[in-house]
Amino acid sequence: MRNVWVLVGASAGIYGALAFVMGVLPGIVLSHVPATPGLRPLTAEQAAGREVYVSEGCAYCHSQVVRPLAQDKAFGRPSVAGDYVYATPELLSDHRNGPDLTNVGTRQPSDVWNAIHLYEPRALVAGSIMPAYPYLFIVRTKALANETVVPVPAPWGPPGEVVVMGPQAKALIAYIESLKQVPLGARSP
Amino acid sequence: MLADNIDRQERSLFVAFTVSATFWLLLTTAVGLLMSFKFPYPDLATSPYLSFGRLRAIHTNGTFFGWASLALTGAALYVAARTSGIPLAGRRFAWFSLWCYNIAATLGTVTLDLGMNNGDQEYREWVWWVAAIFLLAVVSAGISTVWTVAKRAEHDIYLSNWYFIGGYIFTTILGVTAALPWYQYGLGQVAVQGFYMHNAVGMWFTFLALGITYYVLPKLLNRPIYSYALGILGFWTNLVFYPVIGAHHFEFTPLPWWFQTLAIVFSVGMLVPVWAGSGNFLLTMRGRWESVRRSLALPFIFFGVLCYFLGSTQGTVEALRSAQAYWHFTNFTIGHSHLTMYGFISFIAWGGIYALLPRVTGRAPSVLVTGMHFWLASLGVGIYVIVLSVAGTLQGVHWIAGDPFIVSVESAQPFWLGRAVAGIMMFAAHVLFAYNVFIMTVGSPERSASLAQPSGAKA
Repeated sequence: MRNVWVLVGASAGIYGALAFVMGVLPGIVLSHVPATPGLRPLTAEQAAGREVYVSEGCAYCHSQVVRPLAQDKAFGRPSVAGDYVYATPELLSDHRNGPDLTNVGTRQPSDVWNAIHLYEPRALVAGSIMPAYPYLFIVRTKALANETVVPVPAPWGPPGEVVVMGPQAKALIAYIESLKQVPLGARSP
Repeated sequence: MLADNIDRQERSLFVAFTVSATFWLLLTTAVGLLMSFKFPYPDLATSPYLSFGRLRAIHTNGTFFGWASLALTGAALYVAARTSGIPLAGRRFAWFSLWCYNIAATLGTVTLDLGMNNGDQEYREWVWWVAAIFLLAVVSAGISTVWTVAKRAEHDIYLSNWYFIGGYIFTTILGVTAALPWYQYGLGQVAVQGFYMHNAVGMWFTFLALGITYYVLPKLLNRPIYSYALGILGFWTNLVFYPVIGAHHFEFTPLPWWFQTLAIVFSVGMLVPVWAGSGNFLLTMRGRWESVRRSLALPFIFFGVLCYFLGSTQGTVEALRSAQAYWHFTNFTIGHSHLTMYGFISFIAWGGIYALLPRVTGRAPSVLVTGMHFWLASLGVGIYVIVLSVAGTLQGVHWIAGDPFIVSVESAQPFWLGRAVAGIMMFAAHVLFAYNVFIMTVGSPERSASLAQPSGAKA
């Protein structure tokens, strides 16, 4: 080829068209699927928790999509398009160093368990490789009146001090516990 | 002997690209090494700024858009000028590109460490205004390249420049497509993410790396490329097939089933450009293994081509549904991404720098250190890929067997320790490479005359 502008034009034209057909167009269509009946948007606190989830990169180890495969049954019913209507940015992820969290709010609804687990996962699950998030909590000699103490078992807590919920931990736990699949109604067996 | 038409400014440009690329390589693979130790020792470094979820994006974006992009662009600008038979045109754009790359990588690293990211979307975690600075770098390097090629003294546009110009244009379009928010809600964003994440690799790094290989191989072997036509075939088939395969990252998800099937079909189609490209390179090397072995740069190129073939073919196999049922979500994927981005892309970048930078500066790298770099990096990534492939397979088997989740973690644990050991070898190789970059740029006042030999037989 001798004319560089033909190369530039052909490359831009072909790839531009493919980017539209394979990226933008599916994006437009799938951005408009109707919500699964019964699905609710997040509350302000849950949405703040979702921001912590994104900020701390939880999606690098936890997926939020259940496949129609036998090994995914433990995580809930197979996900459908309408489940993601209020989930932007999407957090489907393609890694499971930890379990899928699509329906974790149903499996693990305990505030106390979730708080201890975020503070130090190995206090509850031996062999867990999840990072500890002590910086989402506040450590004090004595809890203030309106604060919730996290009963971290020995030897994992700070000796002689108490761990209380920080605003980020509180929001994140609210988000994690909001992760509950809505049943598919008539379509579910 | 120095390359023709090289002036002082072009030399400084290539050196500046290579030195800053090396900085990002060291920083972001040090981060990778720290992360690899967090698997066996999860309570290591629990400060927010050293937390796994933040470092993960720093490692991937920094190696991609700091190290590999700078290293490949620096070499590609040099190749564009040489194959056009004129000094590089649009120098201001080339320098501007260098600054933008480095500013983007710096701001991207800092913002990610502060927890500011673009929704955990792999390889586009940088917030939009950092990504915009990166795109400015790509566009500027593209302007300099197109300008040079338009003014060229040669009759035809050399194959390498097809790949470079393509890479800059595709990546610009891709970056804009990925940044606009209007069609990225819920599952719509999943579709865009599948499209983006694979094209960021295959329409950018692959194109620059192939362009460099199409120049370095014939130059160092002093023989023409086996088939120019295969190179053209690879260009067009890569351009048409690659954009369709993105949905194979989201198989068995609520994305339309036919859309996933289409992606799988085209993933098989990817064998055409991959085998055309890698076959073309191997046939160019055929019968000249002694020259390859005696060269400092060519073993890197050879290993890179081998990993291009292996890694991309593996990608096709992984895309099949029966394979995804086992390997999706597992560490097998991380092995695959290192076989390709490290084994293929980084090795081609090293081969290109070892082949071309001494021609610019007149200073050869240390033979011993280059050899150690090669063996530590190649054995390191070999171990890395093998242990993670085994770990990933075990994870998949445990899940299918219905074992409790923690069993898959415990089962992978010894292999994660093996990965950390491989990471030490790879990082040591990077330190040796940095030493060589120092030697090739400012370290030694002696200039070697033997570099003129096309095979680079002695250095």
